[in-house]
Amino acid sequence: MRWFLRRLVFYAFAVWVALTLNFLLPRLMPGDPIAGVLAHLSPSQIQANPGIIQTYEALLGGGKGTIWHDYVVYLHRLAHLNFGISTSNYPAPVSEVIGRTLPYSIFLVGVAFLIAFAIGTTVGMIAAWRRGGAVDTVVVPTLMALGAFPAFFTALLGVFFLGLKLKWFPIQHGYDSGLVPGFDWAFLSSAFRHSQLPILVIVSAFAGGWVLNMRTVMINTISEEYVAMAHAKGLRDRRVMTRYAGRNAILPPLNGFAAQFAGAVGGLVFIEVVFSYPGAGLTLQQAALGNDYPLTQGLLLIFAFCVIASSFIMDLANFVLDPRVRAS
Amino acid sequence: MSQLQPIIEPELAPLTAFTARKRGGLRVPGWLSLLLANRKSRFGLIVLAFMIVIAVIAPWISVAHPTDFNILATRQAPSWHHLFGTTDQGSDIFSQVVLGTRRSLILGAAAALIATTLAATLGILAAYAGGIVDEVVNFLTNVFLVIPTIPLLVVISGYLKARGMTTMILVLGLTLWAFEARILRGQALSLRNRDFVQAAKVAGESTWRIVFGELMPNMISRITAAFVLVFYIALLVDAGLEFLGLGDNTHVSWGMVIYWAQVNSTVLQGEWWPFLFPGLALVVTVVALVFLLAGIDELSNPRLRNIKRSK
Repeated sequence: MRWFLRRLVFYAFAVWVALTLNFLLPRLMPGDPIAGVLAHLSPSQIQANPGIIQTYEALLGGGKGTIWHDYVVYLHRLAHLNFGISTSNYPAPVSEVIGRTLPYSIFLVGVAFLIAFAIGTTVGMIAAWRRGGAVDTVVVPTLMALGAFPAFFTALLGVFFLGLKLKWFPIQHGYDSGLVPGFDWAFLSSAFRHSQLPILVIVSAFAGGWVLNMRTVMINTISEEYVAMAHAKGLRDRRVMTRYAGRNAILPPLNGFAAQFAGAVGGLVFIEVVFSYPGAGLTLQQAALGNDYPLTQGLLLIFAFCVIASSFIMDLANFVLDPRVRAS
Repeated sequence: MSQLQPIIEPELAPLTAFTARKRGGLRVPGWLSLLLANRKSRFGLIVLAFMIVIAVIAPWISVAHPTDFNILATRQAPSWHHLFGTTDQGSDIFSQVVLGTRRSLILGAAAALIATTLAATLGILAAYAGGIVDEVVNFLTNVFLVIPTIPLLVVISGYLKARGMTTMILVLGLTLWAFEARILRGQALSLRNRDFVQAAKVAGESTWRIVFGELMPNMISRITAAFVLVFYIALLVDAGLEFLGLGDNTHVSWGMVIYWAQVNSTVLQGEWWPFLFPGLALVVTVVALVFLLAGIDELSNPRLRNIKRSK
């Protein structure tokens, strides 16, 4: 229980750091971000949205109030999910843009990351168990090499060879043009079809990291005495691998889950840009290129929250899997 | 908590042998021959040396100024005249890739140097000092690990209007230290109760002197490994930002060539050369560094090495 409380304190602090970093960044940067934002709105647009300048000032600085006053207003606006208006999506507010794009990204990265984790740890486990076997000499180097590829390069290769040349997958956008997003069969099947190649790219980019991690830990685990003991008891080889060595070896890689997931969220930005996929990553790039700072701020916060939340879920998994954590 | 650990570790014998071997590795010919003896690091070093040579002789082998354009020679597939083909503007991609090599290696190495210095100082200090210093550094490191780096860098780059090479080196160096600090802290923890550290402490040496004079020299191979790791991550992140159009926009770079290929959707028109060659240059460099890292890992973790040899 104490362990649990410690983690909760940690996450609360992490959320606070993300919030405050987001508040300080535009104020620390050279230049005048708020002028850059207001330059994208016409006077009539500003007049049509009373209070928009105050919101921007709280988010980006440049107002007359003190920094403490700004900080309080900033937290207050955030508590009401009010990030102001996204200048590049006028008149949509930032929260609406995020709500529209985030589901695509969550689906993509969520599915892909779980597949990468499952494949990576399984391959790593088998490779360590049979050193020099087929998996260890062929599959491991292949996945490792793919993992060293920059995500956007793998994505471009996928688009060119699997999409353009072999025509196995659609190569652009999140769904067929002409469809309206909604919960109907035509849209969902089209969206699923369009997500396949991006998911394949994320899996190939991130499975390698898990393989290496799992294999290294597993090699150390195999020389433990309890594994020799399990063999001596006459247990089947596969059972010793999965239930004795594998189960213990998976714990250290699990602890690196949050950092890996943060990396995958970053990779997502590149992949969405290559595929013109309508998710939060592409939106972030477009917003950063177009000086839409309220939107970049909102998206950075959301990305940080997603990683923190996933890390928390992993802690819960750790709690279930590791009796030592439960006992403490 | 960490104060409760026993001062004398039971497994001193194999560890001293381990340090002794590493001491021998400190002399320049020593570590080089060690790295060359390992298959993986030898491969990595040779490829890396090749890239460095390319970077050094870049101005002499590039046939054209990288931003020169030629409306008469746009979108040409690779040929003897344009080894890597030409862009939409008719710029020679071979020249762009070759000159980009120099820039990428310098930027990656400089950013990695900053990150490694920060990480080694913080990580080792935290491990040695223990107590509240350790708690604070560890806490901060973990917090920075859950803030996704790429989105953070995209947002920072969005604010920065002038993004020169120095700016990007600083931005990357100051954002990529956290995971490295965690690795080095873990490794310094296993050293801090060793006899020579305790002896220095009893002799009344200051904390900074023990960190820089005793612990750091003994961790030089691990710090090198961490440097190689951050080096290739910095290369990937830097090229990624350029690919997004948010990197150093004053020099021609691998990422920038691919950015323009993407903006002009050359891939969708079946042109593979504008993204393949700069991408391969990046991949080759990164793979070389990964192999070098794997070699260093095998050298410092006998378990990984021995089983490999028995194969």
